[in-house]
Amino acid sequence: MTPIKTLSLSAAATLMASAAFGQTLTINSFGGAYEEAHRKCIITPFEEATGANVQVVTAYSADGFAQLRAQRDAPQFDVIHFSGGQEIVAAAEGLLSPIDPASLSNVDGLVEAARPNLEGGEGPSYSIVALGLLYNAEVLDGPANWTDLTNPEWFENLVLTDMSNTYGMQGFLMLNQALGGSLDDIQPGLDAVAEMLDGGAIVVSTSPEIMQEFAQNDAWVAPYSSDYAFVLQDAGLPIGFNQAAEGTPGVYITANLVAGRPNQELALQLIDRSISPEAQVCFAEEMGYAPTNVNAELTGETAENTPFGAEALAGLVRFDPQVIEERRSEWVDAWNRTIAR
Amino acid sequence: MTDRQENLLLVLPGLLLLAVAFFVPIAQMLVLAFQGPEGPTLDHFRRFLGDEFYLGVLWRTVKLSTLITFWCLIIGFPLAYIMARVGPRARLWLVVMVILPLMTSVVIRTFGWMVVLSRSGLIPSTLRDFGLVGRSFSLMHTEAAIVIGMVQVLLPFMALSILGVMLRIDPRLEEAARTMGCGFLQAVRTVVFPLAVPGIVAGSLLVFTLSASSFITPNLLGGPRVQVLAASIYRQVTQTLDWNFAAAQAVILFAGVLLVLIPYIRLARRADG
Repeated sequence: MTPIKTLSLSAAATLMASAAFGQTLTINSFGGAYEEAHRKCIITPFEEATGANVQVVTAYSADGFAQLRAQRDAPQFDVIHFSGGQEIVAAAEGLLSPIDPASLSNVDGLVEAARPNLEGGEGPSYSIVALGLLYNAEVLDGPANWTDLTNPEWFENLVLTDMSNTYGMQGFLMLNQALGGSLDDIQPGLDAVAEMLDGGAIVVSTSPEIMQEFAQNDAWVAPYSSDYAFVLQDAGLPIGFNQAAEGTPGVYITANLVAGRPNQELALQLIDRSISPEAQVCFAEEMGYAPTNVNAELTGETAENTPFGAEALAGLVRFDPQVIEERRSEWVDAWNRTIAR
Repeated sequence: MTDRQENLLLVLPGLLLLAVAFFVPIAQMLVLAFQGPEGPTLDHFRRFLGDEFYLGVLWRTVKLSTLITFWCLIIGFPLAYIMARVGPRARLWLVVMVILPLMTSVVIRTFGWMVVLSRSGLIPSTLRDFGLVGRSFSLMHTEAAIVIGMVQVLLPFMALSILGVMLRIDPRLEEAARTMGCGFLQAVRTVVFPLAVPGIVAGSLLVFTLSASSFITPNLLGGPRVQVLAASIYRQVTQTLDWNFAAAQAVILFAGVLLVLIPYIRLARRADG
């Protein structure tokens, strides 16, 4: 076969394989190590399989949700990923499209908790993160309780996360609850945070900053997530992760279909790939995420490091996303006043 | 086609761009700022002005912008003077040196400062080695960090504004002052400085307004705990989704900057004339 013929044949094959060739999807991702894994496990394989082009905008959930709301009349995202439960509110506001379970080939493997309301527009969760206590294992034995964070001896080496970050919000709510507060009363948490800051604790906003604090700036302990504990360990740092006794908030990362976009069929394919066993095994290997698809089989070390199974998922605390969205503005305001110098 | 028509045609693209990209959003912002659930209202402004927290944020913005302008002037004036007095070849190199940082993104320059100022960064660890500061000392997330970072970012605007004016000052004036018995500093103070005022004013205005409205550097170096007005607006827009209040804050920032500009321009005019 002449080279030209080969070329044209393979070109034809590629074209036939993908009606999506040349189409563009716009999605958000969360930056840092997460975005790298996201590209490796989902985005790049998706582009290769479909020939579509995926544009990634780095935006955390709260940011992404704000953008989605602002673009109500002319949405720019095709698929939007949330970690803070924003899909529940976004779906209620009609910003997300209902998903017909039949349109997702991998839907049957999903655990019940990962697909609470597809028909209502809440996208499936493709990974679950546990929030607990990250600590420097060379310095500390490992805190066992959320209330241990109020130990003044640790304040100078304690890293807190801003409320603009889902992990920060959820970790704060858990600390607040452990200190006797509730979703109706976050004052106990705020008082504790004020004390920590007076004692020298610092506040950061993003995951890479948390990593930097542990890697370079002598951080001992931080209420944060299992995925970044995994990434730090992977980088060779002596980082431990404890699920604290009072409870482990679970963060459900969801892939949602944005309403009013022309490429919904292609977007659904991307969502389908997110919940596929291959993508979830890859994500578990890269970041230690608990898969939500029972067909995702983890082996060896990955299996040991990843909480998985219906019993592990059932034990996770979930704060009511509806209440969080209703009170977010008030809380963020109170939080800002508390942390402001 | 008459000259007038031709001119109009030439100015049209610029005008259109201004209208679409500047006046329309500003108008929208003004509308938002005065919009309440029941018709026009001043509530958002009352909320801002009646709240110590937000007044504190405003005060910090003004204070830091003033400090940044001051330091840019202190560093930029001698720099511009030297640049104006050396030969053309050396001037070219100096100008390149001043402009070079502008070629990289402000995020990257700021990130450099984050590395230098953080707890294990060059400056805090050196101070710690000399036993001057405590173990957890860090310059990150302080007002000083914002000033340091912003001065570096904005210095070119000041230096180049002054340089433009300085180059037009006849060196013979200074020479004359020196032959009449002025010392070097006296000559600079009584001859060069007054003649350079228009450049100083232009540079200061640029630096002040840019730093009052800048967001990236203060946010990265100040962290979530040291908020300036632009960061506060960003938070209202993206987190609490209170756009009306955010717009009101933007109007206050806008008005504040105008308020500073007007007397400054008057002053400059008097000095000029």
